[in-house]
Amino acid sequence: MNNAALIGNPNTGKTSLFNTLTSSYEYVGNWSGVTVEKKVGHLKNKSGELTDLPGIYTLHPLSRDEGVAAEYLVSDSPSLLVNIVDASQLERNLYLTFQLLEYGKPVVIGLNMIDVAKSNGLSINLEALADRIGVPVMPLVARTGKGAEELLDLISSSSVKAPDFRIDYGNAIEAAISNISRELNSVIPDHISSERFIALQLLERNEAVIRSLKLSDEQIAKVQSICDLAEQRLHTAGTPSTLQEYIRSVRTKHIHEICVTAVDTTHRKPNTLTEKIDAVVTHPIWGIPIFLVFMMFTFKLTFDWLGNPLSDLLESFFSGPLSTWIQNGLVAVGASEFTRALLIDGIIGGVGGVLVFIPQIFIMFLIISFIEDSGYMARITVMMDKIMELAGLNGKALIPFIIGFGCNVPGIMASRSIEQPKERMLSMLLVPLMSCSARLPVYALFAGIFFARAQALVIFSLYLLGIVLALVLAKLFSLFMFKDSKSFFMVELPPYRMPQSTTLFRSTWEKGKGFLRKAGTFILGGSVLIWLLSYVGPGGVADTMDDSFLASIGGLFASLLHPLGFGTWQSGAALITGFMAKEVVVSTMNIIYHVPDMAGLQGQIALAFTPLQAISFMVFVLLYTPCLATVGVLRKETASWRWTAFAVFYSLSLAYIMSFIIYQGGRLLGFV
Amino acid sequence: MSDCQNCLLGLRPGISAEIRHFGSIDPALKRRLTDLGISVGSNITVKRYCPCGGPLMLECSGQLFGIRQKEAAEIKVAVS
Repeated sequence: MNNAALIGNPNTGKTSLFNTLTSSYEYVGNWSGVTVEKKVGHLKNKSGELTDLPGIYTLHPLSRDEGVAAEYLVSDSPSLLVNIVDASQLERNLYLTFQLLEYGKPVVIGLNMIDVAKSNGLSINLEALADRIGVPVMPLVARTGKGAEELLDLISSSSVKAPDFRIDYGNAIEAAISNISRELNSVIPDHISSERFIALQLLERNEAVIRSLKLSDEQIAKVQSICDLAEQRLHTAGTPSTLQEYIRSVRTKHIHEICVTAVDTTHRKPNTLTEKIDAVVTHPIWGIPIFLVFMMFTFKLTFDWLGNPLSDLLESFFSGPLSTWIQNGLVAVGASEFTRALLIDGIIGGVGGVLVFIPQIFIMFLIISFIEDSGYMARITVMMDKIMELAGLNGKALIPFIIGFGCNVPGIMASRSIEQPKERMLSMLLVPLMSCSARLPVYALFAGIFFARAQALVIFSLYLLGIVLALVLAKLFSLFMFKDSKSFFMVELPPYRMPQSTTLFRSTWEKGKGFLRKAGTFILGGSVLIWLLSYVGPGGVADTMDDSFLASIGGLFASLLHPLGFGTWQSGAALITGFMAKEVVVSTMNIIYHVPDMAGLQGQIALAFTPLQAISFMVFVLLYTPCLATVGVLRKETASWRWTAFAVFYSLSLAYIMSFIIYQGGRLLGFV
Repeated sequence: MSDCQNCLLGLRPGISAEIRHFGSIDPALKRRLTDLGISVGSNITVKRYCPCGGPLMLECSGQLFGIRQKEAAEIKVAVS
């Protein structure tokens, strides 16, 4: 059985290849740090397993996601390493390759993006490269799948041998390597085939390796003294650098020699397409306005231009033909009145009421996927870094924020690629303020009723409010809760590429699937529960809904919500159930107002709310307690109940305060 | 930027220079740059500056990246 692992620099196409080789679908994008955890899949030809690892420049981690790969190499036992190398940045990529060659397991190099290298005027001599490194080199274009079949055959053939690879690091280091190997002979796991690899990683002070080996304090001290001795010997021999720098310089010297023989750079030319696009979209003056116009366009398309008309069509189908068919069908089979009410009012009302927003959600996902796959995302982080820095964050935090617009859960996961612990924590705590697609049905419903003409603008403002509040809170939190820690910002700007339509649609579908799955689970379950609670009351079957359990539960909160403008049991009940998934707010409203179609619901809501109350309600839904799934992932990623509780508490307070200000302030200004 | 002699910050867009030393930049940033193959002796080009003191975009052997002005002020270069 094969057990291969994909490993390579960030944004070199590992996950694209993983998807091709395993016929699975994992998240891909055009920036560094898309994959933040390891993923395992079965090879297409059933010859074994393949593990996809987060991208790293070296085995020595700086951020949380980068530690995953080093830990994997120490604690697991892959039978083959598939090292994906970006052909257009060969010299930089080979550094990791050298560390992997020292690992002592068979290695195959997948030389990806040879098309990009070619268009940049680089010509790479594959035979010379394979010959100098001593392992097979397979040319690839992972985006189109070119070369993937050959690579799969090679992986499954189990014919690749461990490389005979050894760099001479000089007397001082070589002596230290044998001392460490002797010292740790007993603790190095059996599956590690090269003690030399471990020794070198320890000499480089790789914390992830030290952690995974679970060394005792005594052993750590011994290793430390060996390192100190080696460094002293280096210094006396006239090399004034640290061990890490020295080891790196030996490797880079070898790599440079290889690149000189294997790569012809005489016809190198700049990437003109990327230069041209950058000249426009990152223009010193027009860059940020272009970004804002692009965002506004996104909302116009999602709502006014395309989303709403499609949604209306879907809605008329649900409330018209579909309900009639089911109603007739149920009558025909003689279903009881209870069953009929459960299906029509509970399930179609609750689940259907949310499903009608599929068009808006998918359009939004499509545009987010486009931003992710084109290379624009990294540019946004650069342009916005100054603003983010003023708020105590860094530009990279925008990546979790933008992903959070789709769904907060992957947004929080994406924070792993932020290097500084403080900035990572802040981003995770604030992602819930990014208005995810689950909140979109609520806005679409309310803004559609009260602000039909300026719907996109109103919803855009809500998204903007979330971002502005996140920045203000970031500033507050970093002033009062975190010791001032140093901050730096560095982001790679990948070349632009036109996202392929298949990738784009798959990526949209994968995001949207989560929504549909939620519709079949949380929203369905929630709808049934809510309907039951609205159907029965303390005195058996409730005469009117005001006597139901739902009314008494919602009523508990009505007086609390009164100062915010929506102190009814209906709003209270919708908000409580919305904790499961925020779409459920809409489901609950559909069931409570008990109307056959969206037009009816809109009429009911128009009676129950004033425009000012509607704004207050939308703001509350935007900001209040993150949903169940988000709370779960916050707990997992922060590894702390305290921070998780803090996130729940601050967002609830923020929602209350903001809605209070908006409603009471609006009333003072004469609105109702 | 008069206080910044021979440093990366202050180079006009389009100008290339060789890195002489990194001054007192954040060690983590220095490692990140090293990861990208950028070290003393590397040839670096300024692409453009973001407005309002935002980061600058740089290029080094075909790789584009962005760093903050504060850090760019630390990096000493020699225009070739």
